[in-house]
Amino acid sequence: MNVVIALTITGILNLFGSIFSYRKITPLLSIIGLTTAIVFNSMYWNTNQSFFNHMMVVDNYAVAFGTVCMVLAACLIIFYNRFMGDNDHHLPEVLSVIVLSVDGAIVMVSYTNLLMLFLGVEILSISFYILAGLKKKDLGSNEAAIKYFLMGAFSTGFLLLGITLIYGATASFDLSVISEYVKLNSTSTNYLLLSGVLLILVGLLFKVAAAPFHFWTPDVYQGAPTIITAFFATVGKIASFGAFYRLFQMCFSPIVNEWSGVIMVVAIITMFIGNITALQQKNLKRMFAYSSIAHAGYMLLALLSHDYLGGNAILFYSIAYGISSMSAFIIIHIIQTQTGTDEAMGFAGLVHKNKTLAMITAISMLSLSGIPLTAGFFGKFYLFSSAIESGYVLLVCLAVINSFIGIYYYFKPVIESYFKDSITDDVIKLKSVETILLIFLSIATILLGIFPGLVPAI
Amino acid sequence: MGNVSLIVLMACGIGFCGLAQLVSKLIAPSSKNLQKLQAYECGVPTIGASWIQFNVGYYLFALIFLVFDVELMFLFPWAVVNKEMGITAFIEIVVFIFILFLGLLYAWKKGALKWM
Amino acid sequence: MTDLVWLVPLLPLIGFIINGLGFGKISKNTAAIIGCGSVFLSLIIVAGIFYEDLGRGGEAVQKTYFTWITAGNLSIDFSLLIDRLSIVMMLIVTGVGLLIHIYSVGYMHNDVGFGKFFAYMNLFMFSMLVLVLGANYVMLFIGWEGVGLCSYLLIGFWYKNREYTAAANKAFIMNRIGDLGFLLGLFLIFKTFGTSDFQRVFSSVQSFSSGDITITLITLFLFIGAMGKSAQIPLFTWLPDAMAGPTPVSALIHAATMVTAGIYMIARSNIMYALAPSTSEFVAVVGALTALMAGFIALTQTDIKKVLAYSTVSQLGYMFVALGLTAYSSAMFHVMTHAFFKALLFLGAGSVIHALSGEQNMRKMGGLRKHLPITFITMAIATLAIVGFPPFAGFFSKDEILTAAYSHSMFLFVILSLTSVLTVLYMFRFFFLTFFGEFRGTKYQIDHIHESPKSMTLPLLILMVLSAVGGGLGIPEALGGKHFLSEYFNHVFGGNTRIQSHEVSHFFEYGLMIISMVLIILIYQFTKQRYDKKVIGKSVEELKMSLWYKLSLNKFYVDELYDKIIVKPLNGMSNFFFNSIEKKVIDGAVNGSGQTVYFLSSMLKSLQSGNIGFYVLMMVIGIVAILFFSLINTITL
Repeated sequence: MNVVIALTITGILNLFGSIFSYRKITPLLSIIGLTTAIVFNSMYWNTNQSFFNHMMVVDNYAVAFGTVCMVLAACLIIFYNRFMGDNDHHLPEVLSVIVLSVDGAIVMVSYTNLLMLFLGVEILSISFYILAGLKKKDLGSNEAAIKYFLMGAFSTGFLLLGITLIYGATASFDLSVISEYVKLNSTSTNYLLLSGVLLILVGLLFKVAAAPFHFWTPDVYQGAPTIITAFFATVGKIASFGAFYRLFQMCFSPIVNEWSGVIMVVAIITMFIGNITALQQKNLKRMFAYSSIAHAGYMLLALLSHDYLGGNAILFYSIAYGISSMSAFIIIHIIQTQTGTDEAMGFAGLVHKNKTLAMITAISMLSLSGIPLTAGFFGKFYLFSSAIESGYVLLVCLAVINSFIGIYYYFKPVIESYFKDSITDDVIKLKSVETILLIFLSIATILLGIFPGLVPAI
Repeated sequence: MGNVSLIVLMACGIGFCGLAQLVSKLIAPSSKNLQKLQAYECGVPTIGASWIQFNVGYYLFALIFLVFDVELMFLFPWAVVNKEMGITAFIEIVVFIFILFLGLLYAWKKGALKWM
Repeated sequence: MTDLVWLVPLLPLIGFIINGLGFGKISKNTAAIIGCGSVFLSLIIVAGIFYEDLGRGGEAVQKTYFTWITAGNLSIDFSLLIDRLSIVMMLIVTGVGLLIHIYSVGYMHNDVGFGKFFAYMNLFMFSMLVLVLGANYVMLFIGWEGVGLCSYLLIGFWYKNREYTAAANKAFIMNRIGDLGFLLGLFLIFKTFGTSDFQRVFSSVQSFSSGDITITLITLFLFIGAMGKSAQIPLFTWLPDAMAGPTPVSALIHAATMVTAGIYMIARSNIMYALAPSTSEFVAVVGALTALMAGFIALTQTDIKKVLAYSTVSQLGYMFVALGLTAYSSAMFHVMTHAFFKALLFLGAGSVIHALSGEQNMRKMGGLRKHLPITFITMAIATLAIVGFPPFAGFFSKDEILTAAYSHSMFLFVILSLTSVLTVLYMFRFFFLTFFGEFRGTKYQIDHIHESPKSMTLPLLILMVLSAVGGGLGIPEALGGKHFLSEYFNHVFGGNTRIQSHEVSHFFEYGLMIISMVLIILIYQFTKQRYDKKVIGKSVEELKMSLWYKLSLNKFYVDELYDKIIVKPLNGMSNFFFNSIEKKVIDGAVNGSGQTVYFLSSMLKSLQSGNIGFYVLMMVIGIVAILFFSLINTITL
């Protein structure tokens, strides 16, 4: 399949940027590679082809999620160049790792075989471990990398064990075979299968940072370079949810009663822990780490819906969340490089320093908190209504309460940037391509908030 | 029926091992001294603490070794089906080895193969 | 014109975009022309729609433009509903809105954020028009949130002042608590009816029996939303604080339009509310208690805008009583007259503040009738209108609500009558303190005192006329009049068979009118004596004491008695409500819940120790818990 091949070639080409001294053009190369991959990817729309001896299938679901991941990665690369001045001599390698991790993301959203799921998860995770430790001289970054690696390895063990148990129960890695088996044996509990399902669940819950497997998130998000955190929070989370939903909807929906309780409890705990802890965070990166935990809690709701509604809901939410947190993190990084602090007070008086930036902050925060006329509102709306359709009224009530708690801390940067006076009078200058990109993200947020029909049904 | 045979098998296994240990304990001559009671390790006895910092170069070698180890692991099943699949299999394995070769090339160019 | 209805919200939006993008670049004049012009064009279209509707005979028209959202079998159209309810609301919003826009040109003239102000105001107009025009609950909700956001932005307009931003935050958070209820109601509507379209919801709700638990829940949730937006107990404390915004904002958003959104919403959902008698009862009781409590508090306020703010809360309580009694058209009538006179009062107050260079304390005013003749006359009419003196607007609408209360429950009637007396008291106090007596301010202020410019007085005069004759739309039959408004609304509320009749005997109505007139005149005399004095620059207590003695010296024992048994307890209760209930109970509860969350937050924070061994331990505990949970789950399944 062309997308994976294009991405791999781009990754390898980038790798040699520093050896054959064309490092200056590697960002351009990555963008071209990603664009090509996006074009290839969108050509698969409505084709539903199967690849690699039925190891992967590119259905609309895979195309949609893959495109989201690649677009976000492309945005990130555009900004990467500016931000990592001190690490510049590793630029080609870093870009290569980023592009290859997107490869992992693509595999994660289009697998039809549990081995491919594992492969995808590992490609993504190992790239992430490396990316978390990018700042070699920075203690926080090192800590983030080693923590992420240790805990990630620990959780991968569970994922693998789960896959093994499922193989034991069904004698296959192939999702269609497994789903047939589950369908035929859904009347009575098969404990071997159920343990497998639960262990896979644990492995994936770790990847999406749901409680009580969320402990790595704040430390890693805070320690890693901000631009990389943006990557974790968007592409990493979206790809993980893509894999999560695909597996549980395709294979395990007949026995939904056996695992829905776990998801419900985990979702509730996750939402509350994420939102409530975020309230007291002064460090914005940490706050957004908790906010991303909370968002994982909301997205878990979609797993519970037993029809196609959930897929659309989770896709829309991913897009809304991805766009807004991408711009939020980018702005945090801009502020951080300018003021040297990644706390909320760094935003003070932003409106006087750069009006556009302040407005983009406001829009992305509004979207993250789910205020109408932004994409975030419809993301939540779809998620909650899909859960309501499946009868989880109480769960939705709790989720709504949570989304209101969230508003409090999302407004902190907005209040700082509009209602406080700045410490310095320096004007923040951005390159025009960066401004255009940020404005583009904001317009997309608003546009999706007014015309949510723009996202096609999958 | 299957369960009973399993239990019998387990009992036999444990019994056999236990019996062998017991017999050797009973009939083997034993002389205990300090030298004999030392934990057996290959090579010379350690001097100082064993928690020391390694040269990072060791890890690089280990990683590169691992890559080619895995390569070999893939070559075996390939060799089995090579005849049936014909030219496709050949091209695929060439691509595979080429990618790994690029990795080696990168490591080499970066100086990872140089001992320091 | 009806085909052009999409332009009605769109024009202010265009105004917002131009003013918002050009903020700081385009001149003040251009910004003013764009801001007022867009609203003016909308008003013309609305007037055209109104005229066509009269010709058509009041049939509702629903314009569907495109399918907005589809999710499974759920689809939400972007559609506008033009019926007599939305037309009246549109007329109020664009009409009063235009006047306030024009007024703002003068009022905000020296402000640096002139363009920004008009941008926000236009954005508000857009949201409010979407709110009243939307043909389903989702569009209503979008508008609902939009006006909340604009209110937040405009309360905190002078963001340099910390207190003002705190007020903005308070308003926003309290509103969001209400919105929580609204959203839950919305989801429940989806679940129950599978649609949020008004017409479809209301036609399928007919099959439910009265008192159905689902409908009761939906209406209750929606009412929680209304409590927040329309400042009812216990979510009313944000509205007085919201007076931090510029005065035109207080007039437009916090008096005439936004705060009545809750009333509009319930009137719109009248079929559901009529099916839920227990909710309706609750609405009426909450409304009545709010009216009484806010009235008490208004008695002792010294800030000119705070008095009006509490008065607004109190009047909104009236409207909710009417809604709870299923007197929907009376509620809308009061919405309309209230929009006229309360906007006028606020604008007048703004004119006074403007003249006194920003002074808001009534104790430092006085004797302004000589200096601000136009403001004085218009305010006099407005005061007469709000206290319900015939034939001004407030008389008719309030009278309708009172008779409805009388026909339904003595309890509500007594509370509302009491509130009416309070209204008269605090309004005359306000009036006399401001315009009579001698000026108690600084020398600087008296030197710079000036009547407001034309752009400010013109809206005052127009609103004065409306406040004076607006009641003519609903003259009760007892006076041989014809109730135009209730006939007009017949197309909207006529289909609701569960509306109770509020017929009372004509004799009672005459009695009520006469008593209220006599009371007003008596209280007028009383307050005149009390506040129209040449006391200069004395503190509150001294003022009271000296009055006290003068009264007892000059008047009979009766006056003293009145003072003792009415004013004192009233003042005391007013202070009590203000200091203990509002400050302690309500703010305490709100802050308390915030503190609980914070406490939880710090507990959870300490879990995040940074120790990786602990993290792994927690993960293992989590896994064991999940496995154990599932085991039990499957056994019980």
